[in-house]
Amino acid sequence: MAEQQKTVSIHVPVLTRVEGEGALHLRIQAGRIEELKLRIYEPPRFFEKFLEGRSYHEVPDMVARICGICPVAYQITAVQTLEKLFGVVPPPWAKAMRRAMYCGEWIQSHSLHIHLLAAPDFFGYDSAIAMAKDHPEVVRRGLKLQAAGNALMDLFGARSVHPVGVKVGGFHHAPAEDQVARMREQLDEALPLAEELVRWAATIAMPQDDQAFTSVALDDARYAIEAGDISSSLGMSIAAEAFEQRFNEYQVPHSTAFFSRLDGQPYLVGPLARMNLHATQLPASIQTLMAETGLVFPSTNMFMSLAARAVEILYALGEARRLLQDYQRPSRPDVDVRPRAGVAMGCTEAPRGLLWHRYETDAEGRILSARIVPPTSQNQGRIEEDLRLSLTAFGLDHEDSALRLHCEEVIRNYDPCISCATHFLRLAVERK
Amino acid sequence: MSGSRRIKIIGIGSPSGDDQAGWLVIDALANKLPLDVELIKLDRPGTLLIPLLEKADRVILIDAMQSGGLPGEIHHFVRDEWANYRTGLSSHGLGVFEALKLAQELGCLPETLDLYGMEIGAAMPGNTPSKAVISSAGKFAEKVTMCFTD
Repeated sequence: MAEQQKTVSIHVPVLTRVEGEGALHLRIQAGRIEELKLRIYEPPRFFEKFLEGRSYHEVPDMVARICGICPVAYQITAVQTLEKLFGVVPPPWAKAMRRAMYCGEWIQSHSLHIHLLAAPDFFGYDSAIAMAKDHPEVVRRGLKLQAAGNALMDLFGARSVHPVGVKVGGFHHAPAEDQVARMREQLDEALPLAEELVRWAATIAMPQDDQAFTSVALDDARYAIEAGDISSSLGMSIAAEAFEQRFNEYQVPHSTAFFSRLDGQPYLVGPLARMNLHATQLPASIQTLMAETGLVFPSTNMFMSLAARAVEILYALGEARRLLQDYQRPSRPDVDVRPRAGVAMGCTEAPRGLLWHRYETDAEGRILSARIVPPTSQNQGRIEEDLRLSLTAFGLDHEDSALRLHCEEVIRNYDPCISCATHFLRLAVERK
Repeated sequence: MSGSRRIKIIGIGSPSGDDQAGWLVIDALANKLPLDVELIKLDRPGTLLIPLLEKADRVILIDAMQSGGLPGEIHHFVRDEWANYRTGLSSHGLGVFEALKLAQELGCLPETLDLYGMEIGAAMPGNTPSKAVISSAGKFAEKVTMCFTD
């Protein structure tokens, strides 16, 4: 008991193996967590303000710069929202190929996170480099899967980092049929690797830490990626237009990123939330594999996020393969766009979860205002809640170093993209 | 002459001011080397670097660096000393040294890898590179060319 009465102050000044720059401050007093703050200090990005006054056709290339890991999510959400605003219907070919390109981003982002950022935690290594020494085949498999995802993004966007293929109305360019045939071969080679990955993920002895939380993800006719209504594990189903009525973003002094609440409560977005809500939509072959390997969703154990990512890699590879099966290069990859004044809202499932955009334009299609709500800022409240619960379950009387490591593992498990989350900060200037 | 060896020269950079250093070297080498020497401009090192290294016998890699020296100064990093270096905090995965160390653990490093860093000044988006960096890139390219044509 005496041990529990001590006052512990742990400050992790820089979180490693996450995208972007953040820190954590934890104060334990008399055996209780008195203060816990996930502090995101990466400089605010001001992207929403940068967009004001820009023409609609500049938006996809600008929002791609919000993140080097998930540029496709930002581009596709932006163009679909602007198409809704202008009353433009892109050709069916473009809709299908956007989903295929988006699959590429899921594959590369999830592969990066599993193998280079998260897995070392579960095998007792401090980095992927250390893990590669003992398990080179695991890291090699991850890099091959990541390469397949990058290749899909390259195919439609000319490059995987900040691709340039997507435009309002469709695509700038349609890949040639022989390029797509080579892509199909690469996907065929990657599919068995992804199946191995799922089997491997199912064998990892995850910490057991069940928590009650609300899952939020898009709901569509297929496993939702680039379209759908917003659904929750509490039975909510709303269109993108109703987002602002149910979800509330707010600032806290310790973070440059907004926090977000659904009906006043923190919630989860991302792979585990998607699997919790829609695993039954996955193809029968994947569901059979999950049953064989003992992977069960829905799960209230946040550490099952890694397995959820592995299953989504397998799904995204198969889905891209399906979409490219009978590929024929269209005579034109886009439709004409006639801008008009108005407001529209749209959302998609970025690798890390729900991504919501709102644009207001004038009659020439210039952006009057923009609002972008990325997944990591939505997950911040859930991360802090998880830290409080999981640290208490872990035991607050552990050594500081063990508590610090546990905190980092919990945070990394969310794959937070802090660069994306710091998208806006209200700036007040007082002049006298 | 390069013979039958697979040789790559990789310049890492971005379109931001002096950060173009690696790309400027590649531009300056264009059409001056044997045809089988592959010239590659890379915009992010990270894991994209590893598959490129795996399929080569010799690689020359040049990237921009900031360590307080004068813009244009060239540093050569010896493989035995890589462990002493960190590329700092990266928002997007691995830096050059981390990627090289990972490649080393995976057995993907080429037999010969010469790693160079060029000191740079400002790396502001949209800016042109400084005269010092442009000049240094040209001189470095000349030295590389001489290695392959002597």
